[in-house]
Formats: sequence, C-alpha cells, structure tokens
Amino acid sequence: MSLDTGVLPGIDVATGDAADGSANSFITDTNESRTLVIPMGQQWFVDPPRDARVSLKVVSGVAEVFGTELANDVEYTFQDWKFSLFAIEETTLTWRCTSVIPDLAEFVTNRVAANSTAKYVYNLHFALEKLRNSSFEGPKVIVLGEAQVGKTALCRTLCSYAIKYRDYQPVMVNLDPQEPILAPPGCLTATPVSDLLDLQSPQWGQTLTSGATQLHGKQPLVKNFGLELIGENLELYLETVRQLSSGVRERTQQDSVVQRSGWIVDTPASALNNPQILQAVIKQLGVDVIVVLAPEDEHWVETLDTLSQIIDRNSIIRIPPLTGAVPVDDVYKRLLQRNAIRDYFYGDLNTVLSPYMISVDSQDLTVWKPRGTMDLVEHPDASKLEFIPVPVDQSNLQHALVVITTAPRRARPEEVMASPILGFGLITEVNERRQKVKILLPVPGQLPNNALVLTAHRYLE
Amino acid sequence: MDEDTRATVKEFEDVLKELTLNSRPIITTLTKMAEENISCAQYFVHLLEARIEKCVPTQKLYAFYALDSICKNAGSPYTIYFSKNLFSMYRKTYLIVDNNTRTKMINLFRSWLEPTTATGEPVFDKGTLDRIESFLIKASALHQKNMESMLPTPTISLLLKEIDKLTMLTEERLRDNKADAKLATKLEVLNQLKAVLQREKLGVPALKQVQLQLQQVFAQDQQYLQDKFVHQQKQQLQQQQLQQQKQQRQRGAGMMGTPDILQGSKSPSKSGTPIIPLFNNFSNQPSKTAGAATNASASLFGSMSSILSPNNFAEMEKTNRIAKIKNLYDELNKEGLLYVPKRESIVTLYDSLNTKNNENNMQQIKNNLPPIPVLTSIIFDCKAHFATNNASLSNAPTLQLNQQNILSDNRQVNNSFIHFLYRAKPNKCSLCGKRFGNSPEEKKLQSDHLDWHFRINKRMKGSSGTQTSTGSTAATAATQRNIQSRNWYIPDSEWVLFKDEEIVSISHDQADRRSGKQRGQSKQATRPHDNDGKFDSAKNAPEKDIVAISRGKLLAKYVVVPDSIQDMAFICPICKEKVNGVYDEDSGEWVWKNTIAIENKHFHATCYFETVQNRSNSGDMPTTELETLKSLIE
Repeated sequence: MSLDTGVLPGIDVATGDAADGSANSFITDTNESRTLVIPMGQQWFVDPPRDARVSLKVVSGVAEVFGTELANDVEYTFQDWKFSLFAIEETTLTWRCTSVIPDLAEFVTNRVAANSTAKYVYNLHFALEKLRNSSFEGPKVIVLGEAQVGKTALCRTLCSYAIKYRDYQPVMVNLDPQEPILAPPGCLTATPVSDLLDLQSPQWGQTLTSGATQLHGKQPLVKNFGLELIGENLELYLETVRQLSSGVRERTQQDSVVQRSGWIVDTPASALNNPQILQAVIKQLGVDVIVVLAPEDEHWVETLDTLSQIIDRNSIIRIPPLTGAVPVDDVYKRLLQRNAIRDYFYGDLNTVLSPYMISVDSQDLTVWKPRGTMDLVEHPDASKLEFIPVPVDQSNLQHALVVITTAPRRARPEEVMASPILGFGLITEVNERRQKVKILLPVPGQLPNNALVLTAHRYLE
Repeated sequence: MDEDTRATVKEFEDVLKELTLNSRPIITTLTKMAEENISCAQYFVHLLEARIEKCVPTQKLYAFYALDSICKNAGSPYTIYFSKNLFSMYRKTYLIVDNNTRTKMINLFRSWLEPTTATGEPVFDKGTLDRIESFLIKASALHQKNMESMLPTPTISLLLKEIDKLTMLTEERLRDNKADAKLATKLEVLNQLKAVLQREKLGVPALKQVQLQLQQVFAQDQQYLQDKFVHQQKQQLQQQQLQQQKQQRQRGAGMMGTPDILQGSKSPSKSGTPIIPLFNNFSNQPSKTAGAATNASASLFGSMSSILSPNNFAEMEKTNRIAKIKNLYDELNKEGLLYVPKRESIVTLYDSLNTKNNENNMQQIKNNLPPIPVLTSIIFDCKAHFATNNASLSNAPTLQLNQQNILSDNRQVNNSFIHFLYRAKPNKCSLCGKRFGNSPEEKKLQSDHLDWHFRINKRMKGSSGTQTSTGSTAATAATQRNIQSRNWYIPDSEWVLFKDEEIVSISHDQADRRSGKQRGQSKQATRPHDNDGKFDSAKNAPEKDIVAISRGKLLAKYVVVPDSIQDMAFICPICKEKVNGVYDEDSGEWVWKNTIAIENKHFHATCYFETVQNRSNSGDMPTTELETLKSLIE
C-alpha cells in the first residue's frame, strides 16, 4: 500500500489549476488574461483591433484555425488578421489583447456562433480523400464563388485536412493576385503543402526563402502578374496563369506524391462570372472538380448552366457560403497586402529577416512594366502582352515594389515576361539629381544584373 | 596629546559613533582599543561618557554595554574613571529610558554586583554600587505605586468576580487537602466578604484595600497550585518514562518543569528585595517556551495583570482537567481495562503512515488525480480509436463525390471519419500541434519531428559555439551571426524537380548533400537543413578549380584610359578607391592598372573577382559569371 497509487505516471497535476487561476470575470484591462469556453461545434470570429495583438492559448480541448489544429498550452499571437477559431471539441482557452477592447460582449460572446457549414467541408474533404486513396491522379479542385463567401478559407482548410492523416502534398494554387498567399501581393503562386501551415499567418506561413522558420517552410512557384486587378489586362493574367499551370503540370508529372494529392485552386471572385476566365483556367489547369460557394438561388441555376458547358455537371459541387467567412473591405485587403510586403523584406513576428539596402546608378537599371488600363486606353491597338520600358524617375519608381527577374538586363521584353522571377526589391528612394536609386533587397549582396518589372504595389515604410 | 594618541582617540570616537545598534563586533572593537591603549584611558572615558550623555535614549544602553565591556575586560584604570560619574549617568539614563530598557539596565546592574573572577571584588567600588542600588529601590517602589494606580478602579462586580475565582481556587486546594482547616476558614471568609460586598456599599478606598488584599491571597493560591502543577508534572514524567514515546515527552516535560527555570525565577523573591517588580514590569512578554510553564512562572513575578487575566485562568482549568483525565487513564490502565495496540498492529501502522489527518489526505489524493480535461481527453482518444478502428474511406459509398453526398448529414463522416483528422492520431506535438499515431513508425516520426524542432530552434536562436551534428564550421559561423536574410526563389526548372521530401524528410541530410552536388551550386541556404550541403559544396565546389584565377593575372589586367575621360581617373565602385591613369611604356598608352571593364563600367580587377567569387560561393550567382570573367582574363 502506498500513497502514490492515485497518480498516473507522466500526468502533470499543475495543468488544470493554471486555468482556474485566470478564470475570473471579464475586466477590460489591457493584456489581462481571460478565459473563454467555446462549446463543441462553435467558432469564435476573432477580429483584433487595428495594430493590436491577440494572443490565445488552448488550455484543453481541440480547436483549429482554418483546418490547422492548435497545440495545447502554446501561445499563438495574431495581428492584423481576422480569423475564426473552430472548436472541434469543447475548448477552454485563455486569451489576451494588447489594446483595450471597448465592448467585450461584442468582441467575444456575440462572435461565438455555431459553424453550420463545417459538415459540408468534412464531407467534401473525405470525398476528396477517397479519390486520392483510389487513384494515382489526385483530384484537381477549383473553388469558385463571389467575394467573401469563404473561398480562401475553404482552400486553406482543405489543404490542412489533406495532410493530416496521410502524407499527401496537395498543391495550393492561388489565382487571386490580390490575395498574398506565401508571396507578396500581385503574384500567382503554386505551393505543395507538405507540412503544417502557420495558423498565425494570414499569408499561410513562410517559404523556404525565409531560411530557418519555426514550421517547415514551403517551396512556392511564384509568378508575377503585377497589376492590381485581373480585369486591367486579362490577356496578361491568362498568360501568367498559363505559365504557372505549365510549371505545376510539370511538377505533378515529376512528383508522384504531388500527383496523387491533387490540387486545390483558389480563384478571384471575378472569375465566377467571367466565362472567358473560367474556360481558360479550367482547361489550362485540367481541373476535374469544381466547388462553388453559393447560396441556392436563381443565380446559381445560371452559374450551373454556364459551368456545365465547360465541365461534366456531376463534377460541380455547390456548398453554401461558409459561416467562417469574414467580411473583407478594401482597407483590410490593403492592410494584408501591405503586411505581406513588409513580411517579405523584414520577416514576421517569429522570424525576423534583415534586408539589405543598396544604392545603384539610375543608368544601371532596366525596368519594364506590363500594360495596364491607362496604357491600353492610350494604345488600344498595342499587344496586351507586350512589356513597356519604364523611365527611371521618381514619379514612376518611388516606393515601388519591383520584381527582379532572372532575365539578363539587356534581354528583350518578351524574354523578361517569360522569365522566372528571382525575388522582389523595394525602391525606397530615387534621387534624380545624383542619378542614384536606393533599393531594398531581401538578399545581401549586389543587385543582380537582371531586368526589373514594376508592379502596381507601393510600400511606404 | 601627541599625534599617535590623537589618531587613536579619533579612531575610538569614530567607532563609537557607529554604536547606534546593539552590535557585538563594535563593542568588541571598542573594548580591544581600550585594552590596547591604556594610555588613552582618560580620553576614552570622556568620549564614552559624552556619548552616554548626548546620544538618543534608545542608544544609551549600547553605550552602557560598551562601558560594561571595557570595565569588565580592561578593568583598572577604567573602573576608577567610570566610577566617578557612574551613579549620575546611570540615574539620568534610567529615568529617561522605557521600561524594557530599564529591565535591561537592572540586569546590567546585577551583573556588576557579582564579583569578577579576576579580583574577586565587584567591578566598581561598593559606594557607587550602593548608591545605584538604593536609587533602584526607590525607583521600583515608585514604580509599584504607579502600577497599583494602573489597576482597574475597583467596583463591586469586579471584586465579586475575583472572589468567585478565589473561592474556586481554594475549593480546589481543599479537595486535595481536606484536613486543612485554614483553607476551610479561608473559604468561609471569602463567602462572608462576598456577602458584605453584596450587602453594603463601601467607599472607593475601602474597595481598593479589598482589591489589594485579594490580589495577595490570589497570588498565594496560585503559587500553591503552581507548585502542585510542577509536582504533578514530575509525577507524570515518571509515569511517562514507562511508556513508549519516552524521549519526546521527557523533553516536553523537561521544558515545562525543569527546576532550574523555576529556581532561577524564584531567586529574586528569595532575596526578598523590593526590586522584584521592576524585574518584570507590565510589558513583560511571556517567553515562548512551553505555555504552561510561562503562565506558571508569570505569577511568581507578581505580575498581577497576568494573574488576573481570564486566559491564564482558563489555561489552569484546562490543565487541571487534563490531569484528571490522565489520572483516570492511569487508573484504568492499572486495572488492565485498557487495550494498548501493539507496535505491529494495523492501527499503529495506519497511524504512523497517516501523519496528516484524513481530510488532508483526501485533498492529497485529489491533487494527485489527473485533472478532468486530461481524463476526458483520454476517453475521447479511446472513442476515436474505436470509431476509426475498422473504418475505411474507400468502402464508404456515401463518400462518392456528388452534390447530394456533400450536402447530406453524413453520419459516417460525423461519427467515424472525422476522427481521422484528430484523435485517430492521439499524440499531439506539444510545440506545433501536429498529430502522430501510436504505431512504431509513427513514434519514430514523432521523435524525429521533435528533433527537428530542437534543431531549428537552436538554429533560430543562433546558439553560438555549439556544433551541429556534423560539426560543420560553416553552419556555426552562420548561426553565430544569427542574422537571417531571405533568399531568392529557386528557378522554375529547379522547382519542377524539387521534392518537398527535402523539406520534411528525416533523412534530409543525405538528400541535401546529394542534391547540392547535383546542382553544382549551393542553393541550400534556402532549405532548413542546408548546413551540411552548403559546407560540402563550398569545400568540394568543382567550379573553384575550374575558375581559379591567379592574382598575378588579375593584377596584370589593365584598361586603356578612354578618350572620353577627362581627369584620367575613375572610382572603383567596390572599394571606392580612386584609380589614376599611368603611362604604360610597353604599349605607349595611358592605362589604368589592375582594372577590368564590365559592361562599360570599370572595376579593380581584384575587387571584382573577389566579389564574384564570394557571390558564387554563397550560391547567389550562377557560375557562368565567374566563367565569363575567366574568359575575359585569359
């Protein structure tokens, strides 16, 4: 007989007590740790105040952010990002915020609600999983829908689920240049998701170019579109999609795991109602499953008709708009884009990067830009795919994000357009009098002697 | 006073100034100085007297201690010098300090009365000591008067209460000693007194008289009971010695009833001097030894307030009751009516194991139980295990991808398949939340995964000096800097061939090395485990041999100064040094030595080469650039 009989080995007695200590009533102090219990099947829409950091820690239970499960007793920090935390089981968590929350009820209680669409996502995931299990050629899924129906959230969740039980590596293809996913804005990307996505990051995580990161980095294929909206130059957009898809196709042929895992394709909202884009993208990528996030209404019947002209009707799945979808306005979109540019050069909260500022002579720069709306109005007959040279001056380049291509500086514009990209630079200052340009480079060293492409994005530090 | 004396006296004064607290080291120092510098005795005495005179009352005692120490250790001539003013100093000080300090001063005085070992005489001369003594006697008489005036104003009810108490005490005594006629009389007197008090109205002075009288009687009674108590203790001691827990009890009893303590405290009362009350004034704090003993001895000091305190009284009653129970126990034991559990019995074992009481124990058991969430988690894990045990996605017809299936409430998904995403793999990484299963392969994966976390954290923190598993120096250098920069994207041609296994695989080390060699250039900086590959290729890089360019050749490079240049000079963009043209006699031209022209820009040939080489080694630039350079130079 011993006193120890009641103790199971390896179980920490203290864990339960820590939560009780902070389980006091809500007080509007800043950074005061508060406890919240989210019932099973409900989710909390977290909308941190601007510039504030919300930190949360799961004390018990199982919860996920867009399909990525949170570790218990690890503090996650979120900034400038609206997301939803879904409780798979009843979840107790402690959270705090660095700034005062004026209305706690509005911030917490009113924003915990049932996730009624989760079951569809599960059904869809397991149907896709079954396809992956039964064939060497995984499903190529494209997600369509109007703005703010949860397209990106669905893609992210499907990717996260796909890597959970088996070692699949679905390729996440982002065709929305306004959405910075694993790259600065203005890009189309394709990324095999081979390990956990960073649930704290609105950009889904870090790439291998960041070096050592707390989670496994991802290796994206990045294609620059460079303009703000795809409507500005549809030909160029489709050309960029073509370049991206040829890369992904080749990769898929080379990589049996990727081939078996299939693709998940996120699209811009404008794609749904533009048959030209639909046709091109679906054919280009060889998509075999279309998921549309839409309510079942008259418009849906039209959409279904349009889509069934492109693809077999049985491959079209409609899911109601997700309950986790967060309203997104232009200001918020800009904020995400701005932060994506900042993170590209300086790293995020967990991985600090040191960019490198260099000064070059103006005459050593060759800058091109794609034809945008303004330019096309002026030259209606010009080829839309043609790049036009940009004079190196303050009005054109100050604070601009530029793409550093792999094409040599003297290469012809067609070559520049077709060339892969090396990375991005940020022009911080153009001194016209001294003929000098200051460029922030992510990589220490000299500016590669390559052609640059001007993007529509500006970043003022 | 010569220089040395002055210095010594100054030093003594300085030390004396520090005597603001009762510090043995300071007093010892002062004593030592006094002993060693007898020649300065007079100065020291002056200083010390001045100190006693001038310092704040609370510190005067310490100065007295110093005086005492000097006199006792150094002796003559200090004793003689101090004797002169000792009485007046003592008196003055005594009158202004508080009661506590007075007690201490009296103690000090008592130590002076004792003959020293050295001379066999008291420290100071008899005359001085006598004066102090008579002063103290007067002072204490005064003190007692003060004390009496501090007693509560006697009222009938108060006195009645006291009489009741006394009656009880006397009855107690009477029970022990039934033949004592005196006690019986006393009881009668008390009753009469009570009756008188109840019947008649007495003046305040009369009441006062009664009160004092009562107190005296009370003190007597208490002393008697005290003696009896001590006696009982001794008896108990003897009985207890027979019992098992002999030692412990002995210690307790010894503390409560050692004759020494009582002897010691009694001694002043034996001497019969009226100083006694001064030795414990009202602020007398009972020492924290055994409670009974303190209370018992308290009465011996004649502290009336403590005698009268109901607390004390209750205490006494309690001890009496305990004594009674004890007696009963002993009697029963003698008759053999008690069962004493044997040492090996379960009861004694239980008692010895359960040192705390039961309630505490329950608490402890509760504390040792895992918290509820852990238990629920285990249950859920079990449920998930059984739910997924025989589940198979491929045999489920409801998973056919079609509109109807997706929008249905699929029970199979909700009840079974869903667990594949969560608890089917019950082991969650504590750092990132990634789940792992229970099979040996999965366990292996999990431990590799943890290793990876460890390595990457180490790398991110840049723990300098710690060698990586392969001891790569390149890696250590990189981590020491702990500055991380982004890298370029890999070319599309590499991306299509890239395998994400290189990122997540466990045997990444080998994979990295292979791919690093294959490519002939090190892109590994982009990969989490680039260390080995990077080092490898830097060391074995074949391009280094191919493009080895001798420094001599570089230095020999020159460029003819173009006609368009006016000042015959240029600034090397790399080292920012100005290069002036020199006349080359061989060619008959003005040239820039050690210079190379790349795309119409001029560089130091050596500078340019170094830059290109560095870039090539760090993997940023294709080797072609180096090769171009080589071809330029050859």
